[in-house]
Amino acid sequence: MKNALPRLRAERGLTQGDLADKLNVSRQTVNAIETGRYDPSLPLAFAIARLFKCRIEEIFEP
Amino acid sequence: MSADAVPVKGAGKTYIIECAIVSALYAGLAWARHWLIAQAPNHALAIAASIVPSLPIWALFFVVWRYYRRIDEFEQQRFLETIALSFGIGSCLLVTFAFLTDAGLAWLDITWAWPTLAVSWALTSGIMHVARR
Repeated sequence: MKNALPRLRAERGLTQGDLADKLNVSRQTVNAIETGRYDPSLPLAFAIARLFKCRIEEIFEP
Repeated sequence: MSADAVPVKGAGKTYIIECAIVSALYAGLAWARHWLIAQAPNHALAIAASIVPSLPIWALFFVVWRYYRRIDEFEQQRFLETIALSFGIGSCLLVTFAFLTDAGLAWLDITWAWPTLAVSWALTSGIMHVARR
């Protein structure tokens, strides 16, 4: 699944580690989502959307 | 995420240390089990002594389960994939070896089952780690 996570993260000056801390997941998980190797669960996708104040479909694209 | 406290920082390090401790305990108790049984003054205590080596395996199960509960969803998925693959391979190896004993290969004690699965698990973890890069 394509996603805008790297762009959104860069716009806010966050590292993968910073984002991982905010989402309460590991840095490896953030990396896997950004590179499309892992599709997050709905609760995690909602947490990401809340953090960036976006709708889920604005971040993730099938 | 199911709990706010997940993932637990340092869970991996704790897991490896605990695995090493219970594995060493298992190896020692499995090696000394006949001596333990021989020390029992009656049959009931002999039965109790005979199951002592299995206690570290129960402890290991708890260690693995606790680690699983302490990692996030992506790590849980990878952990389960590795367990499924390694235990499948390990079980197939054990059954294959069991049939080979019909052809005269040395009989293997049941206490080797868990170490075989553990080695299979460790090797699969390493291979999967490299493959996922």
